[in-house]
Amino acid sequence: MSHPQDLALRDQAAGIAAGELDPGELLQATLERIAERNGPLNAIVATFPEDSERMLAEAPQGPLHSVPFAVKDQFQIPFRAPRDGTHSEAAPPGDSGVFRRLREAGAVLVGVTNMHYRGGGSTGVQSAYGPVGNPWNAEHVGGGSSGGSASAVGARMVATAVGADGGGSIRLPAAYCGVVGLKPTFGAVPVDGNLHGFYDLDALGPFARDADDGRLAAEALMGTELPPGDASNLRVGIPRFFWEDLDPDVEHGCKAALGAAGWATEDVAVEGQEHARIATALNLAIQIMPEWPLDDVDELDPVTRAYTKFSALIPAAALARAHRVRSQLRRSLAELFGRVDLLAVPTVPAPAPTIADPTVHLPSGPHPPDRANVRQTGLANLTGVPGINVPAGLHPSGLPVGLQLIGPWDGEARLLDAAKHIEQATSREFVDAVPQAYL
Amino acid sequence: MDVFEQFARAGLEWQGLSADDTDVAVMRYIDEVFGPELRALMTVDMHGLWPETDFDPSRAPSS
Repeated sequence: MSHPQDLALRDQAAGIAAGELDPGELLQATLERIAERNGPLNAIVATFPEDSERMLAEAPQGPLHSVPFAVKDQFQIPFRAPRDGTHSEAAPPGDSGVFRRLREAGAVLVGVTNMHYRGGGSTGVQSAYGPVGNPWNAEHVGGGSSGGSASAVGARMVATAVGADGGGSIRLPAAYCGVVGLKPTFGAVPVDGNLHGFYDLDALGPFARDADDGRLAAEALMGTELPPGDASNLRVGIPRFFWEDLDPDVEHGCKAALGAAGWATEDVAVEGQEHARIATALNLAIQIMPEWPLDDVDELDPVTRAYTKFSALIPAAALARAHRVRSQLRRSLAELFGRVDLLAVPTVPAPAPTIADPTVHLPSGPHPPDRANVRQTGLANLTGVPGINVPAGLHPSGLPVGLQLIGPWDGEARLLDAAKHIEQATSREFVDAVPQAYL
Repeated sequence: MDVFEQFARAGLEWQGLSADDTDVAVMRYIDEVFGPELRALMTVDMHGLWPETDFDPSRAPSS
């Protein structure tokens, strides 16, 4: 028999329900898989076998009965204080909406995942626990800020993990690590027990290996059914603005996946799109300020310290203007979703950079990773709509390529249908691909 | 000391924060990266572009 963590999430759940997979053996095998694979990746920062065994013994019946999962280190859980990528406890142990929802579904928490310091970056390089590595090449970044969750799922340590996405922090690491990552509609998953103060940007959601597993995890987190449907005849808008200045092989991979899907496409423009990146950056910088440690800012690393101080100098008028941009983008998306079912853009403009030098190299030259990445993902956060990363190719470097689909408000089921359609149209080549290190 | 450095040091000092040369150098880089888009946002004509009065990102805009 293969290792049980090589089974899909749904197959783990079905095997346990049918009495064909022993949940105690699954838990033990999962902890052993984490011990075996986590070292070079630094994806999981804590396990608590005795608490996991207690959860297993008391696991409620549900769609994820006795199935292991992991959560990002920014959520309260009953037996460990969240650190938020820092050295110190950011809140006491406790309950959180994501823990409660997965617990009610019967799942068993096996680990806490690494993350970019205070959620403030798209690489996962800055963390008190050290950088998050990429399962496809541990010298490259796993992404951020929910990089540990993406890396743990990509390395098959767990079949699902939870992240948070305030500016792309689920979709970006999902693209880097070659897994499905769903940012639901704002507010679709309860945010209590989430440390971050991105009060109208942050959406909480799952990582999984494919769309069917993503649907199962999302249903548990959202507390609602997401019935599957036919996605073979969608109308897809291509906002060309977000297809400019891409790594050529990323662009090729995303176009090939769209071509395989066979959907009717049309070029579209989102009004205000040219201001979306700065509006995202401003909102992220300002909304986190109340939690940011201005009192001990000089204790931070030089880059984080300078970003923090720079944020303190942003004029208030800029945020007021950014708010008007948000309404402009939202009105434009509402109009577009009357004509098309989805929008499609590359999730990241280039594959995962190295940990040693996380500069992103694009045709226009070298770019800081966050600036390059947030252009692709901020639109969904500013407007509240859902977005999903779909593994769409492998770059010549051997690293994954991701295609992002963006849907209308409450369009999660459609996104998952579309993601599955792409998986089928590409013969599951990219969701079933296994990193070389694990072959 | 140029205008950017004057602004950075004085603005932080007003908030009780200091800035060393490394801080100023990194902030200058951040301004080079994000500054052009910030200044474009600050100067774009927004007459007639009203924010939603019932802004709620969990649903489509009502106005």
